[in-house]
Amino acid sequence: MKINTRWLAIFLVMGMVLAACSPDEGGPDTTGDEPTDTTEAPGSPGTTEGPTDTTAPPTGEIATDIGVDVENQVIRLGYLSDLSGPFAALVGAINAGAEFYWTGVNEAGGINGWTVEMVVRDTGYDAEAHTQFYQELKDDTVMIAQSTGSPQTVGILEQLAADNVLAVPLTWYSGWTDETLNANLLHHGMSYCLEAHNLLGYITDNNDVSTIAIASIPGDYGLDSVAGAAQAAATLGLEVVYDGTGAIVPGAEGPENPDEIANAIVGADPDVVFLTGRSQDTEAIYGAAVGQGLEAIWTGAFPTYSPRFVAPGSPIADQASRDFILSFYGTPWAAGTDGITAFSQAILDAGLPASEFYTEGAIEATIVHAVLAQAIANGDLTQAGVLAAGKSLSNVDLGGIGPNESYTGTMNEQLQRVSNIVKPDAADLAAGGTGFALVAGEYTHSIVTDYDFTGACYSLG
Amino acid sequence: MRGRPLLYTSYESDQALLNTGTKKVLLSLFLLLAILLPLGAVPGLQWLASDNWMLVLGEVAIVFVAALGLNILTGLAGQVSLGHAFFMGIGAYTAAALGAPEGPLWGLGLPMWIWLPAAGLVAALIGVLIAPTSFRVRGLYLAIVTLGLVFIGEHLFRNLDFITGGSQSGRQFPRLELKLWKEETPLIDFSNDGTWLGIDLSREAKTFYLMLAAAVLFAVVAKNIQRTRAGRAFQSIRDRDIAAEITGVDEFRYKTIAFMLSSFFAGIAGALVASFVGRTIPEAFGLSLSVEIIAVVLIGGAGVVSGMALGSIFVVVLPLIVLNVTEWLTDLARTGEGIVASIADFFVATGNLDSGFVSALPGSSPGLNVFQMNQVLYGLLIIGFIIFEPLGLYGIWIRIRNYWKGWPFTY
Repeated sequence: MKINTRWLAIFLVMGMVLAACSPDEGGPDTTGDEPTDTTEAPGSPGTTEGPTDTTAPPTGEIATDIGVDVENQVIRLGYLSDLSGPFAALVGAINAGAEFYWTGVNEAGGINGWTVEMVVRDTGYDAEAHTQFYQELKDDTVMIAQSTGSPQTVGILEQLAADNVLAVPLTWYSGWTDETLNANLLHHGMSYCLEAHNLLGYITDNNDVSTIAIASIPGDYGLDSVAGAAQAAATLGLEVVYDGTGAIVPGAEGPENPDEIANAIVGADPDVVFLTGRSQDTEAIYGAAVGQGLEAIWTGAFPTYSPRFVAPGSPIADQASRDFILSFYGTPWAAGTDGITAFSQAILDAGLPASEFYTEGAIEATIVHAVLAQAIANGDLTQAGVLAAGKSLSNVDLGGIGPNESYTGTMNEQLQRVSNIVKPDAADLAAGGTGFALVAGEYTHSIVTDYDFTGACYSLG
Repeated sequence: MRGRPLLYTSYESDQALLNTGTKKVLLSLFLLLAILLPLGAVPGLQWLASDNWMLVLGEVAIVFVAALGLNILTGLAGQVSLGHAFFMGIGAYTAAALGAPEGPLWGLGLPMWIWLPAAGLVAALIGVLIAPTSFRVRGLYLAIVTLGLVFIGEHLFRNLDFITGGSQSGRQFPRLELKLWKEETPLIDFSNDGTWLGIDLSREAKTFYLMLAAAVLFAVVAKNIQRTRAGRAFQSIRDRDIAAEITGVDEFRYKTIAFMLSSFFAGIAGALVASFVGRTIPEAFGLSLSVEIIAVVLIGGAGVVSGMALGSIFVVVLPLIVLNVTEWLTDLARTGEGIVASIADFFVATGNLDSGFVSALPGSSPGLNVFQMNQVLYGLLIIGFIIFEPLGLYGIWIRIRNYWKGWPFTY
């Protein structure tokens, strides 16, 4: 071969460096103060006693097939996690919360004597890897306790149905309540779309606002969120003065067009800016906009914001404390209710840094705990038995770390309509907290109460 | 004369598709093995019949088809291309536009016998349009041009959201099923469990058979291209383009044909992989995919069809090996004792303050994640093979074969 091999080698290495540097798209990123350790998460489980374990038939009478080691009484749970893609920091923290929860449950004797083992696979937010690892996990685990990403989860829906396997999606896509998608899923938390309704409802009620600018990154996360914002704006009578739906181009370190978006927002001079993206996208666009003197209320999906905005030394700390209003799916640490206080104290006692994202991991795990407890009580720990148990739960009590969930009744009845409205709190962050103050706990605006679910706000084609 | 190795008495037998008895026997055995594998009928290899492994082997077959395409362009015709992922993307979205069911995105719901060949043809057509650049620039410069193609492709795929579903959202691709037209029940359904000839097969096993058939078909085509006038013209251009032109090879024509054929293979592979996964996002057809296919060609052995098979197996299975070795080392480091555990602990990061090259649970401990580790290994392997074994795995196989041919003599 006459290809100049030395040059080819150098070129390919350059190519791979470029590939490695290519922009990470989509999805939220989390704060600079994410917890980074899952291994040192033992200790008091806090609220991880979880759902009440009911009386169960003897082990020998429980039907099992895949993912259950009867001899050692171990239940294996599959986690399809993005630990190396755009959601890595977020999902790493969420999994740390889940591991913390299960460690607590196992140390307290397990679920009716059954201990739980997490089998985690890193999908890198790649649909092909997601499908492939699903095939591995469905032959090895009793259910998929976490499936990261909406397109990825939609991609395995047919197989979930064919295999009678239950999955908990780790995304807040509004379509999960749709009957055509939801047969094998246990969704939880308020969707991106309804979150926008709730936030804008709260903001409109409590402030004198009449105009709104909307912007987002592409992808289901950004588009579902701003679709909700546009619906809510129409319902609430807010005039949309700038519509940047999907206009933010996410790069590796931040948006590729922060000035373009910031200029458009400033030029439109809105009372409210609804922006959904990754926190690094918000940081750049917000910094540029306030630099030009814009004063407005800023809001968006929860991962759009990061507490590092108000950390000591942040150039936008004062403005961000003033401008941001957000909504969290779970109970914020600042709520001070019994459940979340016990949970947060247990996290801190284990030496982990404060972060709201542990709560999400624990919420997922609590729901799965309730499913497994029900399956054991039914005497059926097969994959199909676990699916049936999950779909029969009419009220999953999250022990105060999040609003209760229901998986029976009509889609409108299953819809989660409660979230918590929060504001940045620099003092709380400096004192070792998560950096949020509670503004309105367990809040549901009237437009959310009246919301009639007929389909996803943004359709994944 | 019969039975003498490497002695050919006619041009036809020298140029035969399978020109030695060993090749015929080995290929027959391989095909028999591949057919029996999903049935769990191969002693000692029953574990490969699991759904998970069927999926992995199906992917091997698709990567093989893609690599055969790049092999024609780079291995045979010597035109370095980083744009293979672009052509795979063209194929995938042609398949989606034609074959996916009608819905909010483009989709005509046409049957597979239309969308699959069309995926190849549309990609080939675009290949023909790109080909003239290879006449103007060569070597590294062509690589840069084709690199640009990948970025243009990514931009287009992200923004043509009525076909692709848009960045990070993606879309559903047509199901793998053979229909005559748009009737309800397909003639052959590869997407659901079912019974063929009285044998119960999972959808993964059926899909594997489809991919195997595609791989065999395209391997025969690729091998035949190599033996034709065009194939010899490709090789003469690769070896010295000016000399080739002097001897009457129309460089422009054959470079165009090489691009066209390569893009056709890529288009088919793209359509197959997208339908195989079921749903994917535009970002999947980026530079990483091109690098993966280049890795197959260079690791397998540029210019050799059987090398592509070895390379595909290697590149697809490598991440699984890295994952399993990492998990095994992590277990060892966490639970083991003594020197072995210490060595394992040196290589893997098991906790927050622990250092190591690679981490089984990235995001929760430092170190490279498995994907990054694979990229590093691809890079090192490509460099290693180019420097030490330009014929790739095929070259290693030749050496082993020659050693045993002469055994117990060294030559």
